[in-house]
Amino acid sequence: MSPALRIGLPLGALVVILIAWETAVRATGTAGLVPSPVNVARAGVALIADGTATRALAGSLQRVLIGFCVAAVIGVPIGLAIGTAPTLDRIFRPVLDAMRSVAPIAWIPMAILWLGVRGDAALFVVAYAAVFPFILNASDAARRVDGSLLAAARSLGAGRALTFGAVITPSALPFLFTGARIAMGFAWGSIIAAELAIGIKVTGQSRAVAGLGQLMVETLYVRRDVDALVFYMLMIGAVSFLIDFGMRRAQIRLMPWTLR
Amino acid sequence: MSSALRRVATAAQPMIGIAALIAAWQAASVIAANPTLAPPLGAIARQIAAMASTDLLNDVVASLVHLLLGYGCGAILGLVLALLAARSEWFAAILDPYVEFLRPISAIAWIPIAILLFGVGRGVPVFLIFYASLFPILVSTLDGVRSVDRGLINAGRALGASRRLVVTNIILPAALPSILSGARLSLGVAWVAMVAGELVGADAGLGWRIMWYQEFFSMDGVMATIVVIGAVGWLLDALLRALQRRLLAWSPTTGARG
Amino acid sequence: MTVAVLRLAGVTKTFRAPRGGGDVVALSGVDLDVREGEFLTVVGPSGCGKSTMLSLVAGFAQPTAGEVLFQGQPVLEPGPERGVMFQDYALFPWRTVMGNIEFGPYALGVGKAERRGRARELIQLVGLEGFEDRYPHELSGGMRQRCALARMLANNPTMWLMDEPLAAVDLQTRIILQDELLRLWGDGGSAKRSTVLFVTHGIDEAVLLADRVVVMARRPGRIKAIVDVNLPRPRAAQRSSPALAELVGRVWDLIRDEAVRAIAEETN
Ligand SMILES: Nc1ncnc2c1ncn2[C@@H]1O[C@H](COP(=O)(O)OP(=O)(O)OP(=O)(O)O)[C@@H](O)[C@H]1O
Ligand SMILES: [Mg+2]
Repeated sequence: MSPALRIGLPLGALVVILIAWETAVRATGTAGLVPSPVNVARAGVALIADGTATRALAGSLQRVLIGFCVAAVIGVPIGLAIGTAPTLDRIFRPVLDAMRSVAPIAWIPMAILWLGVRGDAALFVVAYAAVFPFILNASDAARRVDGSLLAAARSLGAGRALTFGAVITPSALPFLFTGARIAMGFAWGSIIAAELAIGIKVTGQSRAVAGLGQLMVETLYVRRDVDALVFYMLMIGAVSFLIDFGMRRAQIRLMPWTLR
Repeated sequence: MSSALRRVATAAQPMIGIAALIAAWQAASVIAANPTLAPPLGAIARQIAAMASTDLLNDVVASLVHLLLGYGCGAILGLVLALLAARSEWFAAILDPYVEFLRPISAIAWIPIAILLFGVGRGVPVFLIFYASLFPILVSTLDGVRSVDRGLINAGRALGASRRLVVTNIILPAALPSILSGARLSLGVAWVAMVAGELVGADAGLGWRIMWYQEFFSMDGVMATIVVIGAVGWLLDALLRALQRRLLAWSPTTGARG
Repeated sequence: MTVAVLRLAGVTKTFRAPRGGGDVVALSGVDLDVREGEFLTVVGPSGCGKSTMLSLVAGFAQPTAGEVLFQGQPVLEPGPERGVMFQDYALFPWRTVMGNIEFGPYALGVGKAERRGRARELIQLVGLEGFEDRYPHELSGGMRQRCALARMLANNPTMWLMDEPLAAVDLQTRIILQDELLRLWGDGGSAKRSTVLFVTHGIDEAVLLADRVVVMARRPGRIKAIVDVNLPRPRAAQRSSPALAELVGRVWDLIRDEAVRAIAEETN
């Protein structure tokens, strides 16, 4: 199939769907009740122009980044430790499996209690969601370091520090990166959920630290603006896509052998 | 240490981890000395017992119904789309960019739209579960079907296998490991989506029960529900893991792990 | 004069090169007549189109030009009368030894009892008794090969297409399997032998087994010479005969230049 067709086909399908959708909304006279492509675009332009959307996005992204870093700082050492010591792995694997089975969002009430509604509760949920990909991939990384490489380094006289820096780190790095990519996806997904849940609990109380999630709750329940809601949705999608795309690109650039 | 003793010690190790977790929680609750901030073990256990004799079964069943509906539709649609895309280059070309765009969007981000579409009720969690489980199984299946060894297909054709037989007896079993690992990934994200959906947009289920206990400021109840969510989620994954082992006994990697 | 059961007439096969560049001519104007019941071996340097030729006869691919005729009919698709044994076995990993061997009859709609019986016979014939319920990954290389052989035989093919079937086993196993293969084919003198097209890298093996040895050359892939092997059968008794050694020397002379050139090209 030619490259032109490869791009043209899905694009054509999209245009057809959008036109059909717009026509349907106009024909039924349900604009305002049902989102329509033109109105969504209009709402988007307005929300970006007055800074509402961008401020909320910045708030959410900031928390994602902090939560992500916290998860990395906690998760990577734990992962490397259980990856290098089989005994630790046997002891803590069930704990991790059990904790992983609890959906991060379920902690919301406890997190609000511990950290308050002003954003830190959402941060907890983000870190909780992102820590497991870090742990699992770091332990994988440590486990898969080639034993004969380690033996070679040792026989060449490398001490513990040098072995860690020159052998373990470079061979573990690709796995850590994969872990980071997955963790970032989880973090972004759960910030929205956490903010939504907090927003539904406490609409209006925490405007100062509001993120996209709270904004969506307000748009849904207070302003009832369906077009803006769909716009936020698209924005979340675009950010998700860009994060994933950017991290994949970076990984291909830095470690071309790790992704197909 | 005698070898028997060592074997006992090894067998006990998983217990040690869980025991340590429980002990740490108890220690925290003693230090916090505040039954709301960190409910003590006894309170949580009593709460679980109390729930078991009242609403627990209803909540679990409600959640499982959500899961069954959403996961069933999502997994089947994912499988069908993947098989269609594997057959038709055109269909794949149209499908691919949408999958690539929609896949990274967490199901949870759809909550407001889902509430708008379905209102608070069964629709929200079912839709979220459906959306969450669709992509992992779609992508894994497509990957599996596309990387089936050409030589195996040729071998089948040389032995007289019809087109249908090649699909059912060669392509599907060859792709089964990928399909099953996709199904497990799907279940994992579906479980999270279910709790989130119930938490904010449903009127039944384990996620909803968390919010219900929070309304009454019963942190014992919240913690008890969290424990139940973890246990049931773990059980479901163990179930799929067993299925995987059962169906893939022939595979050198899965089979050997026992 | 016997009729050719298989005829290749002016067969050419080109492949589109993966990323731009010119096309690869895998086979160019190959003419070959194979007589019924004949054991034909094919030798030649790597990349001369041996596998390509086999897959055209099997019906996995179509020639770019020329014709492949089996029993007078053009080959359009694979068929159970042409059995194939692959170099990497291509055993179905999710089927046991028994399941692999009975797949052919199953595909042709043979009833369960009958195909079981047939598979049991073959299992005995290739010496895999006791391993019926093993999966391929639980077998040794030699056992996998026996299993692949039995699977090929299960449909009673009149033509055996074998692509380096003994390449991946150790030397001892290889010698044993050569003898068994000859026995199964009817080397001791049997009424009705199947026709065999057998690709190999082993020149000794090629001469030992064959009625005729096809020597191929590359760039483009073509037939360079066909050497008749007029040694008495059964061949197992001929392993150390001077006549065999002499023939091996002749075939080696024919392909040495090619092989040397192939290596030189690869290292450039
Ligand atoms: N599907 C294909 N697409 C492109 N080129 C191919 C394909 N199959 C074979 N070729 C090319 O055709 C030529 C002949 O390949 P073939 O596999 O028939 O050689 P061969 O004699 O069997 O070699 P070997 O001894 O290594 O098995 C090679 O140059 C190979 O790269
Ligand atoms: Mg070959």
